[in-house]
Formats: sequence, structure tokens, C-alpha cells
Amino acid sequence: MVFETNYKLVYLMKLEEKIQILADSAKYDVSCSSSGSTRKNKPGGIGNSNLGGICHSWTSDGRCISLLKILFSNDCCYNCVYCVNRMTNDVPRASFTPDELAELTINFYRRNYIEGLFLSSAVLKSPDYTMELLLRTVKKLREEYSFNGYIHLKAIPGADYRLIEEAGRLVDRISVNIELPTQDGLKRLAPQKKKESILGPMGFINSQILEESAAYKRRKKSRIFVPAGQTTQLMIGATPDHDLSILRLAEGLYNHYSLKRVYYSAYIPVATHPNLPALSGPPLLREHRLYQADWLLRFYGFSAGELLNETTPSFDTDIDPKCQWALSNLHLFPVEINKADYQMLLRVPGIGVRSAKRIYAARKVCPLNWESLSKIGVVLKRARFFITCRGKFFGESSMNESLIRENLVTKNKSAVKPAWEQLSLFSYLPGATKLPNDFSANITGEL
Amino acid sequence: MLIYLYDGTFEGLLTAIYQAYYRREKPDSITTGSAMQTHLFGRTVQITTDSKKAEKVSQAVREKISPAALSNILFAFLSEQNEATTWVYHYLDLGWKMGKNVDLCLNHNPVLKILDLARKVKGERHRMLGLIRFRRLNLKYDIYYAPYKPDYNITGLVAPHFARRLADQNWIIHDTGRNLAALFNQKEWLLTEFQLDKIPSPAANEETYQKLWKNYFNSVTIKERYNPKLQKQNMPMKYWRYLIEKN
Ligand code: SF4
Repeated sequence: MVFETNYKLVYLMKLEEKIQILADSAKYDVSCSSSGSTRKNKPGGIGNSNLGGICHSWTSDGRCISLLKILFSNDCCYNCVYCVNRMTNDVPRASFTPDELAELTINFYRRNYIEGLFLSSAVLKSPDYTMELLLRTVKKLREEYSFNGYIHLKAIPGADYRLIEEAGRLVDRISVNIELPTQDGLKRLAPQKKKESILGPMGFINSQILEESAAYKRRKKSRIFVPAGQTTQLMIGATPDHDLSILRLAEGLYNHYSLKRVYYSAYIPVATHPNLPALSGPPLLREHRLYQADWLLRFYGFSAGELLNETTPSFDTDIDPKCQWALSNLHLFPVEINKADYQMLLRVPGIGVRSAKRIYAARKVCPLNWESLSKIGVVLKRARFFITCRGKFFGESSMNESLIRENLVTKNKSAVKPAWEQLSLFSYLPGATKLPNDFSANITGEL
Repeated sequence: MLIYLYDGTFEGLLTAIYQAYYRREKPDSITTGSAMQTHLFGRTVQITTDSKKAEKVSQAVREKISPAALSNILFAFLSEQNEATTWVYHYLDLGWKMGKNVDLCLNHNPVLKILDLARKVKGERHRMLGLIRFRRLNLKYDIYYAPYKPDYNITGLVAPHFARRLADQNWIIHDTGRNLAALFNQKEWLLTEFQLDKIPSPAANEETYQKLWKNYFNSVTIKERYNPKLQKQNMPMKYWRYLIEKN
């Protein structure tokens, strides 16, 4: 049989090559966090998890390596146009065996190279077939190797819920990647995936988590179904969706699916296709702004609708989302540091969660003066336009939007300097410069 | 000027603090015997370390100030900065008056110094939990060996983490700068002076796994996002020497 000969060939391929191929294709998944779990080691076992997560190395793109992030297989039978592993792409293919992967994980772990395993896969033969292989790998690690380190598993869209539920009892975190923020995007770029096959398992996982935490409260037993919760990833820049629709989607996921994290990944042009935008490079600045806004949603009490709206559907490139919000709400400022309530402190540009907490606690002991603010960690360069300290205002200009704005624009953009280009998002390939009518209708429809 | 000389251990420092209180003195400086030059300027008192007295002080800090204050002074002490011990003394002095609110007195210099040092030491400890690299040695016993060179004296702070995590292997974590090591035998760990002239040769599969790890490390870099400045900011070059993937 063709399949069997292929399989043998793949099997015999050296481990080194497999790692190369399967790590290379996994690298675009940005979530690598190992946080949120408190799994403990057991007698005779190896591994535990650290609630805050631990980074083990940083690659030369500056991203942290925490988990061994790798695909079980890149031999995909789907054909998502934005993906290197799509069926019709001519790339070397490889698949692990559960044994190989378990052995590799344990040996990396013993040397403290990694915090655990982040296992994902292309769709090998069928969603169920793939999910079963992933499940076998995870089972081997937990049961045969007594491995108690962190495991993040990607659920394969379309796989049987029973497999997902069984895996969920063994791992710390599960994610299903949405990737494309709108149904229209899915249709054009990932024709074999349906909205239901993605949101379905997410809803299922969420209901399992909720059910178990209810039981947890009743019977005080410890949670075992994905203790670190579920996450997802949205791809930025492969579709014409605005920041507003992306942020609204994220907000919905936090509120209705109780997601732990939404990750944003700047689309890296790995393929050319009439349905894909021509980018000169990944839209890293957009990705950065979305992460900043995501923090504002999760820790600062903002809602998507406060940050962006139909007239301003995208984030400012020059200033961060909080400054953008503050500038359009100048009537709320300046606030007095020694009086403002905690929620308002959080909304001041230049004050983070940590400094807001410290201000709140410290001013009860003694009123704060200007000097103590910078010691607390307030970024006065930004904050001074929005606060008074013992009644005194320290910004040099009166509250005038354009003047303050000028002052807030970071002169030095080196932090996010790579080749991003907003305009090119919408400049399509030469052969496809004319956008189909329903296309733009769909965009505005989303807004 | 009044100078207390102690033996350089944390217990010694706590004993010195006990003595200051007991003798109703206010030492201007608490320092180790090696800093001889300071003796020229004042009266010195030699402190004899006494673990009972030290325990009394640590209990008082925990109860009268806060458990956080106790870990703050331990972390600050392990920074081994010159003035750290004197700051610890002043920090506690204020702590006896302020109780657990001492960490909020941000107008007070010793508080800022102690919090700052504690944060730095905690930070390096956390970083090292990730950056320590074990290699399996070719010895009669199966031992994993990890040399590293931290800025601060954190070996005793990282050892408990690895004792829980790598509980089924024997290991050595070796601070090569201080000639100090934590040894673990699958049951308990201890801190001891330690020196190696030469690292014993690696076990059979060791080099294969090192190679696979380097291989993995290089494969996950996204070249379109190349940003070595950010890499160095997150993982300062001073730590690269013992990183398998960087050699
Ligand atoms: S299912 Fe689509 S996105 Fe996933 S590996 Fe296959 S082609 Fe790529």
C-alpha cells in the first residue's frame, strides 16, 4: 500500500530531521506560555508546573521558549491557503511516533531545557486519527513515564468530543485555534474548516470546565480537567478585518467561553494566493497594539467598545491604546493621585496594575509626592499630562489634545521597528487587484 | 562610629540585630571581618553567631512585621551588596514601628533599597529556574550536573525547586563563581563548598540530546521577526556561557 511505504519512509527518517521539520512548522503558533497550572510532582515521578510559568530560553527573534513546541505531524490532508503545511504545498513531510516524542520530551525535561510539551498537529488522514495519536502520546507521558510537567495540547477541529474530553483530563491546557477572525475569512482561506468545528469544541471544553468547577466547589476535589484552562490564537493581517472586529471577538471569547488567553499572531507571508494579501512583512506593530489592548480588556477594566468604534476602527500607530483612549476622553482628566479611585488610577497612561496597587496602598500610610511616584514605577513622561499630585499639575501644556499627543508619541520606535506596513494589507496581488464586490460588503458587514 | 563584625552568614546577621536590640546600641554598620579598613574609624564589636538568637529574630520579623519582610531581608542579604546588611538593620528598625506597612513607606530610603535588592535577587532566581542546564555525566552513579554563574548567591533558593521537579534523578547545581554547590540524592539536598578541576566526561546519549536541543532551538526561530536586541534583553549575554544552545 502506498500509505504504508510512505509511513515506513517517514518512520526511518532520522529524529534530527523530524525535529527540524516539525519544530519549524510549529513555530508560527505564538502561545508558548506554561502558566496557570499547579500540578504537583508525585512520588517516583518527574516534573511539576509553576503557576507563573518559566521561560527556558529566548530565540534570536526575541521570543521565549518555554515548552517543546512541536507538531506531531505536518502531513496535512487539508489545504488552508495561508499555511505552510497545506496539502498542495511542496515541503518535506514527517510524523513522530508517540514513543519518539515521549522519549524526547522526557530527555529535554531532565536537562531543564523545557517546561513541558506543547503538542499540536496537522490533520494526518482525519481529525479523529490525528487526535487519537496525540492522545496516545500524552497518555504515554503521564502514565508510563510518570511525567507531571506541563502539557498544552491543541485539539484538532472536527475530532470526536470523547477524545477531546479524555485528553482534557490528562493535560494542563487545551487550545483550539480560531486563526481567522470571521466566517468569511474561513471560507476563503480554510475551506475545509467550518466555524462550528472550531467553536463547537471550544464550547464543549468550556462546559466541561464549568461543570467540573461547580463539582469542585461542592466536593472540594481538585480540578483535573485542563486546570490551566483553554486558549486560542487569532491571525492578524491575513484577512481585511479591522482591529475592532478582532478585539470584539476576543472580548466575546473572554466573556462567553471563559478563555484564559487570546493570542495574536502577525500573519507571516508563507504563501502567495489570490485570496491572501501581499505583505512586505508580518504586521508586527498591529499585533503589538492588539496585545496592549488585550491587556486593557483583561486587567484594566476596559471594554472593546471604549477603545475603538465604527469611526475609529483601528489603533493608532504612534501611541498605545491607553493613550489613545485617554486623549479622546480628556474631560475625565487630570485626576488627583491621592484621591482617585483604583479603577480610575488604572486608566491613567503611564500607570500600570502594579503601580496603581502600590499607589492605592501607599497613600493610606502617607500622602504621595511627586518624587515617590517615580519610585513606585509610574512612567511620569506619560502620566504627567493626566494627573495632579497634591493639587499640582506637572504637564507643561494646558489640557490640549494635539499638544499632549505630540508629547506622547514615542520618538524612538526601535522597540517595534521591523518591516510592517499597514497599507499593504489591502494591496492585493497583481492578478487580483479588483476585490470581488461581496468582499468589501462582507468587511463592512462585520463592522 | 560603631561597627558590628559578623561572620557573613544570615544567622550571623540576625544575631547582630539581636545584639543591637539587647545592648541598646545603634550600630552604624554591620559588616564582615574582611572589611578591615572600616576598623580605623571606630569602635568594633565582634558578633558571635548564635542560632537560637537568630531564630528569635526571624520569628519576631515574621510575627511583628510580616513573612514577606523576612523573605525580603533574606533576598537582600543574598545580593551580597556591600551595604545590604546595614540596610537590613535600618529596614527592620522601621519595621518594628510600622508593622506590615513597612513596605509601603516608600519615602524611606532603606525600604526602597531592600525592596529593590529583593526584587533583583528574586528576578535572577526566577530567570535561573529556566536557564540552568543539566548534563548527564559518565560516572559510576547516574548524575546530572549543572554549572552556572549567577550574580547573586541564589543556589540555596533554586535548589528546592529542582528537588521537587527533578525528584527522581541525582543532581548537582554548581555556582562556579562562588565554588558552591547544591547536591541532591533523590531524597534531600544540601549546600556545600564545591570545586571541580575538570567536568567529567558526558554520558553516552548526552551529546545526542544536546545536538537535538540545538537543532530544535535553531528551528523555532522565525527569521522574519529577527530581533537579537530583544533576545539579549530577555537573556543577557553574561548567562550564555553555560547554555547548551548558545555554544
Ligand atoms: S489544517 Fe490547515 S492550518 Fe492546520 S496544518 Fe493543515 S493546512 Fe495548516
